[in-house]
Amino acid sequence: METAALIVVLVIALALFFDFTNGFHDTANAMATPIATGALKPKVAVGLAAGLNLVGAFLSTEVSKTVSHGIIREDQISASHVDFLPLIFAGLVGAVVWNMLTWLLGLPSSSSHALFGGLVGATLVGFGVSGVDFGVLLSKIILPALLSPLTAGVIAFIVTRMAYAMTRRYDGKPDGRSGFRWGQIFTSSMVALAHGTNDAQKTMGIITLALIMAGWQDKSNADPHIWVIFACAFTIAAGTYLGGWRIIRTLGKGLTDVKPAQGFSAETSTAATILASSALGFALSTTQVASGSVIGSGLGRRGSKVRWGTAGKIAVGWLLTLPAAGLVGALAALIVRWLPTWGLLVDAVIALVVIIALFLRSRRDAVTAANAMSDVAESGMAVKVKKNPPPTRRQRAIIREQERLKAEEKARRKAEERERERRRADEEARRRAEKKAKAKADAKRSSDEKKKSDAKKKADAKSHADAKKKSGADAKKKADATKASAHDGGKKKSTAGKDGK
Amino acid sequence: MSIDIDWLAFVRVFVVALVGAVLVVGFYAAGLRMLVRAGRVPVVAPAEFTDAITVISPKQAAKAEKAAAKAAKKSPLTEGQKTLALLAAYGSFGLCALAVLGGIVLIVVH
Repeated sequence: METAALIVVLVIALALFFDFTNGFHDTANAMATPIATGALKPKVAVGLAAGLNLVGAFLSTEVSKTVSHGIIREDQISASHVDFLPLIFAGLVGAVVWNMLTWLLGLPSSSSHALFGGLVGATLVGFGVSGVDFGVLLSKIILPALLSPLTAGVIAFIVTRMAYAMTRRYDGKPDGRSGFRWGQIFTSSMVALAHGTNDAQKTMGIITLALIMAGWQDKSNADPHIWVIFACAFTIAAGTYLGGWRIIRTLGKGLTDVKPAQGFSAETSTAATILASSALGFALSTTQVASGSVIGSGLGRRGSKVRWGTAGKIAVGWLLTLPAAGLVGALAALIVRWLPTWGLLVDAVIALVVIIALFLRSRRDAVTAANAMSDVAESGMAVKVKKNPPPTRRQRAIIREQERLKAEEKARRKAEERERERRRADEEARRRAEKKAKAKADAKRSSDEKKKSDAKKKADAKSHADAKKKSGADAKKKADATKASAHDGGKKKSTAGKDGK
Repeated sequence: MSIDIDWLAFVRVFVVALVGAVLVVGFYAAGLRMLVRAGRVPVVAPAEFTDAITVISPKQAAKAEKAAAKAAKKSPLTEGQKTLALLAAYGSFGLCALAVLGGIVLIVVH
């Protein structure tokens, strides 16, 4: 019994550590977009995420029930409940080790799937296929894992298109889309709340499973103890708050091109998908759902294309997580099986080494945008968005109409120009004709005048000549008269002299 | 060993999430549209001018504010129409908040 108590304590400690790292890692997922768009100051975003993760952990217990009463078939392993405790511990070690490896190698991964993979792998080694309920595993873990990013992506695509269409202006005036930054404060809060609702419960489920196996909780009661809820809620909140430093230092340089309207739509889709799934007990990976939303909302922007290479890498990383973590969990379980006394200790040492390595890694001052970007922000790289998107159908119609009007205006101007040109030519011709006529008239007039003047001159000359002739005749006459009178006078004088004598 | 899969549950998740997201985004976008129509174009500068790709610079924010003020001045609406648009905007934001609260209440009750 003392060994069982020790194992339960170890399981709770490791589960809470896992919860802490989950919060530590996933702060970036919840708050990547609001910080990238400048909706929230990083410190405020981190504080808000921590508080809402805490609240979210109290909202529902459906996912916890799936983990504690769904995946593992307790009825098949009822004879050796206490034997199962080291396997839960081994499963947790598998999950932590896989998380650590993917983090160090920069591979996309999901903490939640690492947890389920580790648990299933360890159970398969301990009790064979009869220990796992594959129906629940398929319907509550594997299928939601495959379908939830798709669901979130499709919804994000639809609502992004809607958000852009509803706020689009065709007159070039401000569209007020920066107002989506206010909205992002609420939607990112919803994502943090949803994260608390889904992820904190996974740890609650693991602890509840350990308590049931140790006989400290009634098997028929699926709800976690209140102290378990409090412990998990505060641990995930603490992890979220302390994980914020990475965001403060790195997300300011976020490489993903996320506009406020797009971020708002992506976060709404993420929160809606996680909350709806949590209510039905689906244990999702919030990282995968948020990544699906970021990709879907990116595709919702005009002119965007998928970078299939990057998207494929992300998808392969996700698909590998469950079996790979299962393999690591199975190896940890094998150690427990092969070394009944020391196996647990070896696993504990491995877990401790991994935790110390994780701590040292987190203390290292080598955080850059390249190696510490959140998986969600990185998933945005799977979509290539054009800087100048192509016009919408209505914009195309407007452009066509503008071009038609422009062409009409051009044609009208051209016609007017032609008309003006014609008028100018007519005017010119008329003026030229007038000028010619005038010149002709002038010439005629001048020739007439010349003729007239010549005639006049001739007449004048004639009259002058006549006058001269006349005056000459007169003068001759006068001279003759004078001569005659002078002859007559001499004659008289001589007559008078003769008389005087 | 038979595996029962409740496919309807996935459809329910999709429909519920889609309806929730459409209501929240739709009402919020409609609220913004009405706010613009009322001549109060929201220009929300980033909370912190980081060097992220989408964070605009203070100069760009000031330019956007100027453009918004210019557009508001040229609004062809009467004062009454503007007040009506503003009320519609607040109504839309209120409905958006109600949709969020309704969703949370449904989850807690469920």
